[in-house]
Amino acid sequence: MTLDEKKSTPGLTAALDQLWMRFLPEMHQRAAILESAAVAFASGEITSEQKYAAHSAAHKLAGTLGTFGLARGSELARDFEKSCSPEEPCSASHSQHLVAIAAEISAIIAARK
Amino acid sequence: MPHKVLIIDDEDDIREVAALSLESVAGWEVVTANSGSQGLARAVEHRPDAILLDVMMPGMDGPTTFRELRRNPATASIPVLLLTAKVQSSDQRRFADLGVEAVLFKPFDPLTLSDQIAGVLGWT
Repeated sequence: MTLDEKKSTPGLTAALDQLWMRFLPEMHQRAAILESAAVAFASGEITSEQKYAAHSAAHKLAGTLGTFGLARGSELARDFEKSCSPEEPCSASHSQHLVAIAAEISAIIAARK
Repeated sequence: MPHKVLIIDDEDDIREVAALSLESVAGWEVVTANSGSQGLARAVEHRPDAILLDVMMPGMDGPTTFRELRRNPATASIPVLLLTAKVQSSDQRRFADLGVEAVLFKPFDPLTLSDQIAGVLGWT
């Protein structure tokens, strides 16, 4: 099968869209974890459990969003993952950056049709 | 006969997109498992032509699952490709040193995932 034939594989895009809709609640849930962790971090009240949950959610979003065509979302999630490792203290200078990243990821997820 | 690939990944979305991709784009037969231990059992039961194995899984992670596959004579010769969202070079070297056929990265393109696998394994 040539690449052109593959690109016209009937139903693949529609099937991917169906999967996206099925997993959309999980995507929103992961993004919400990032947003709440970023806000908690900015206020200096983040717990180690929140950091671990946020790191895990960012890792999953980094691996998943690009697969659904949201490459920018994967880049941002990877940035969040690197910026907030559970093993290392997050830099206070990163807090507003994390808030902005989390908000953009949520917007990207919400905008995908 | 179409190739048969076992996908082992604890994330439902990744597992289902990969399965959809390999089935609909390449026409391969796909078997899935949602954990390392389930993957070991499915590998013995289905004898796939290749295994796509996630690295970070709760319980038995990808590298441990790989070592168990190699330890069992029934699965020792099945080619294994790791699938990971880790992009740091130190992680990549560590995974490559395990002796897997290849390390593939998330996010992947559903249109070309089968080409990547076929290219590594010399499937035409």
